[in-house]
Amino acid sequence: MRHARLLLSLAIAAAALPGCNRAPAETSRPRIALVMKTLNNPFFIEMQRGAEQAAKDLNVDLVVQAAERETDVERQMQIVENLIQAKVGAIALTPSGSREVVPAVGKANAANIPVVIVDTRLDAAAAAAAGVKTVAFVGSDNYKGGGLIGEYLVSRSGGKAKVAILEGIPGHETGDSRVRGFRDAIKAAPGVAIVASQPANWERDQGFSVFQNMMQAHADIDTVFACNDIMALGAVEAIAAAGKTGKIRVLGFDAIDDARNAIADGRMAATVAQFPREMGKVAVESAVKALRGETLPADIGVRIGLVTKDNAKEGGAK
Amino acid sequence: MITGRLGTFPTGGRRLGTLAGLIGLSLLLWALTPYFLTVSNLLNVLEQTAINAIIAAGMTFVIISGGIDLSVGSLVALAGVVLALGLQAGWPAPAAIAAALAVGAAFGILSGLSITWGRLPPFIATLGMMSVARGTALLFTDGRPISGFDAGFRSLATGRVLGIPAPVLITIAVYLIAHFVLRRTRFGRYVYAMGGNEEATRLSGVNVRFHKTAVYAVSGLASAVAAVLLTARLNSAQPIAGMMYELDAIAAVVIGGTSLMGGDGAIGGTLIGALIMGVLRNGLNLLGVSSFVQQVVIGLVIVFAVLIDTALKPRKS
Repeated sequence: MRHARLLLSLAIAAAALPGCNRAPAETSRPRIALVMKTLNNPFFIEMQRGAEQAAKDLNVDLVVQAAERETDVERQMQIVENLIQAKVGAIALTPSGSREVVPAVGKANAANIPVVIVDTRLDAAAAAAAGVKTVAFVGSDNYKGGGLIGEYLVSRSGGKAKVAILEGIPGHETGDSRVRGFRDAIKAAPGVAIVASQPANWERDQGFSVFQNMMQAHADIDTVFACNDIMALGAVEAIAAAGKTGKIRVLGFDAIDDARNAIADGRMAATVAQFPREMGKVAVESAVKALRGETLPADIGVRIGLVTKDNAKEGGAK
Repeated sequence: MITGRLGTFPTGGRRLGTLAGLIGLSLLLWALTPYFLTVSNLLNVLEQTAINAIIAAGMTFVIISGGIDLSVGSLVALAGVVLALGLQAGWPAPAAIAAALAVGAAFGILSGLSITWGRLPPFIATLGMMSVARGTALLFTDGRPISGFDAGFRSLATGRVLGIPAPVLITIAVYLIAHFVLRRTRFGRYVYAMGGNEEATRLSGVNVRFHKTAVYAVSGLASAVAAVLLTARLNSAQPIAGMMYELDAIAAVVIGGTSLMGGDGAIGGTLIGALIMGVLRNGLNLLGVSSFVQQVVIGLVIVFAVLIDTALKPRKS
């Protein structure tokens, strides 16, 4: 039995070996870390690509890490702690929880490692209460994006619609801002009514099941706004399963490839393009600038735009 | 190894093997990265391991007794939410913590009762509880996290005594108590006995229903202790916290050499199992290994640990 456990240790060693890059402690190339919410979403894969391109152009090393699950903030905090131990030069972070990562950012502050926040803002009050500092925020204006899609709905529906909303994980700044932007934009049209609004936690399968339930409860729903395309595509499947394809207007957010295709063939109506590749690029550039001691603007906006049938194919946005 | 009719107390040999695995892994990481073997990183790993280790301590009781508890991750969320609601309502921290621990133990007892009186398989009873506890946590909070606690409470996660992080000290205390209960008390002996041969245990006059229910109370209590640390650490209680933590806890227990068949195992092995997982995750981060590869590696380690355990388990005659 003693041998068995030794065998286990060897197995662990053998399993751990292949993916290893020896940490280049001896070289002077700066190391930048990009910590993402998840790698299960094409949005973040795009962001990673942009970041990798920027790292190559700027001749810096890039470490990309993410928790297995987007909901696991504690794991994201562990990753940040471990990267602090690995003495990376700067960290670009997309918070899995706007308040929950504040202590992790505090630890980076204590280690004098600059932190650039990407895509999802830190909770301003929590950060202020903890005395936590970040060098910049890089991301799209989610409130404005929600507004764009709301205005689109008002103009296309002729001011009359019964809307269901699929929210992200409750308490996430990103989703909350999109919903607020959307709600404020449709206030202009009293005929546009929200009949249901529930979280589907950014997930496709939950988008499917939550929207299926909403259709059961409210047979008159004619529009669904999902706070990301993944949930919107889940809703598209639920609509297809109910035989209502084309009868319900599906609005998303993010303009991932699958959503563009769905818009091109009429299963979705519109989405908001963010430019995650650009976001990843700017995030790394900002992290490198911060590492060099340059001052950055507190807010670095990345453009957004509306995607409809007119421009879905060419990968552009209005 | 001392084998009796009512279960098996492993002697040190087996745990030494698991320990060799941990040491081997640490040596490997020491060779691969200069950042691993530093005092600050080792304390960092211990701190990160605390939550899983504490949940896994409770899980060890359940698995030795021949059961399984899938509800622990949800109980972490629920107990955290209860704690946060208490703190938010202005209760003193000890009262809010006591309420959280009571809720964890109470939900554990409910699982235990449905197993002992309802005769449900533990897998089903705790699967149901997993959903009930998660739903309750979401209901209590309307799905939203509760955050922002005072520094006194947060010192449970951020404080240090003689340079050692508070969560590490709490983990040590939990393991000392768990070790004492398992090895030095009648209840501990019954836990092994029930897992070894439940019928024989019952026939020898042990109140199996009572003690089995208590096992799930222990697991619920351990989850609540972990919830206190998690809430203090994140300065927030999330109703969606702790998803899939049950799998991490079960993995720590089986890597530590406790048999999923019950009746056989040791709490010290679980601690080493949890440390192996913590060190592995830490090391893979330090090395900048891709997140996808990390999941493959951790999965392989779990499978190998159980493979070895099954292959070497003496066949029952």
